[in-house]
Amino acid sequence: MKFKDYVKDHFIEILIFFFLLLFLFCLFLLLKLSFATNFFILSLITCFFLFSFLYSYFKRKFFFKEFFSILEKIDQKYFITEMLPTANFLEGKLFLQALYEIDKSMKERINESEKSMTDFKEYLELWIHEIKLPIASLILRNHNKKEKDNKELEQIKKIEEYVEQVLFYVRSEHSKKDYLIHECDLNTMIKNVILRNKDDFLALNIEVKTKNLNKKALTDAKWFEYILNQIVSNAKKYKKEKDSIIEFKADESDKEIKICILDNGIGIKESDLPKVFEKSFTGENGHNKKEATGMGLFLVKKMCEQLGHTVEIESRENEYTKVIITISKNSFYNVLK
Amino acid sequence: MKKIVIVEDEESIREELKALLLNASYEVEVVEDFKDVLGGLLKIDCDLILLDINIPNMNGEVLLKEYRKQKDTPIIMVTSRSSETDEVLSMGYGADDYITKPYNPTILLLRVGAVLKRSEKAYDHLSYHEWIVYPTKGILKKEEEEMILTKNEMIIFLNLLNNLGSIVTRDDLMTDLWNNDEYINDNALTVNISRLRRKLEEMGYEDAILTRKGQGYILK
Repeated sequence: MKFKDYVKDHFIEILIFFFLLLFLFCLFLLLKLSFATNFFILSLITCFFLFSFLYSYFKRKFFFKEFFSILEKIDQKYFITEMLPTANFLEGKLFLQALYEIDKSMKERINESEKSMTDFKEYLELWIHEIKLPIASLILRNHNKKEKDNKELEQIKKIEEYVEQVLFYVRSEHSKKDYLIHECDLNTMIKNVILRNKDDFLALNIEVKTKNLNKKALTDAKWFEYILNQIVSNAKKYKKEKDSIIEFKADESDKEIKICILDNGIGIKESDLPKVFEKSFTGENGHNKKEATGMGLFLVKKMCEQLGHTVEIESRENEYTKVIITISKNSFYNVLK
Repeated sequence: MKKIVIVEDEESIREELKALLLNASYEVEVVEDFKDVLGGLLKIDCDLILLDINIPNMNGEVLLKEYRKQKDTPIIMVTSRSSETDEVLSMGYGADDYITKPYNPTILLLRVGAVLKRSEKAYDHLSYHEWIVYPTKGILKKEEEEMILTKNEMIIFLNLLNNLGSIVTRDDLMTDLWNNDEYINDNALTVNISRLRRKLEEMGYEDAILTRKGQGYILK
């Protein structure tokens, strides 16, 4: 609160005061008071006025200074009502009261919508587990048939993948942690992902290579497999016409393990590269393929962040795409062991 | 014949699972009365239990824990929940393996086979006619004679041997190979099978592996 602004705001009062001074001055002249007395009375009045004016200015100034400094310190601004200063003047009190009411109603709304969001997410998770039953049943049915219908199986697997995407989206948004970080066998996780995609790799003629995977990594196996599966599914989607290769390899140092998934597919345009992890971003490749939802890599990034891994992407158009996930080693965990 | 009990409340899955396991020449019993699953399970004498986590009236994990107090029959937990916590918890309660729905049926069979093999007290020597099989060494032996198989050939041979006399699909063989980190393609599988055939011929078994067109292979 600047003094200039405060003066501007009380311009009318000051004006009225000056008129009063002028009026009194004239009145005293008419009453033929001596000039000295006149001057003395008027300066006395001016002093009183100045004093009361400055007093109310500083009262407000200190209040708002404190208020804004608290506001600046807190992260979630709407918690301000929990630590309000006290006001010893009417507007201040009214202001705080109004703020309190507004804040309270907003918090209620937030709680309400958070609750309904949680309810919805819980319902969605439940629903996903339910829908998995008929999918499981269909896959088994298909397997038990004398003549397998691969086209049908392909579609069922697509349904499964989309359903799973919803599940992990919900989970990655959930504040509740439902992952468990422990030592996982890298080879097993990668094998599971490769096996899951076996039929596609064979049908699309993609050669699978693995190198150096006998390592342990601190992660959540289910989440990590999902992340890998998303990356693999991109590699399948954006493969070259022939001689496709996908390679999984790992490099270990003292501090971290880098897992690299390399394919020799159509790659990503340089201008698209910085945006691939954005939600709903499909880029030029995505426009050419209808199946791109722009969710895959967004989820990969998000889930990696939650698990504390980093993910990077390198690519050259028409040559290769390389996704690198870095999992750090926790020395504390080793001590605990 | 190994006997497997299925505890699964979803009827469609139960029936399909039963068909799958019957096809793989296991003896199958299903639990249909969910009032007292624990009591029912304790009465049955079997080699393996496939237990769903979400069964009516009782939590699968609690059931597992209770069951383990009295019997140590191998149990594979089957669930549609897919969080690592559930898995770790189940294994902690004494499950031998854990599979998430929807699963690949061939993988399920491989896991079932693996758990059964692990639980066999006395591992009887695998043999084919007069030949004794040493899977880890990759050789077959008959007295002084020896036949060396490559890793891929051994995987294929073992799979056929475990299903002696019944059809094994190409897909099953492929899944088994991939499950053992051998990511080969269709052509390579064909090559491996013809090599295996030739080796069996050398051992004196002509036409040991029959081809059933569009279905798979049989070892006799």
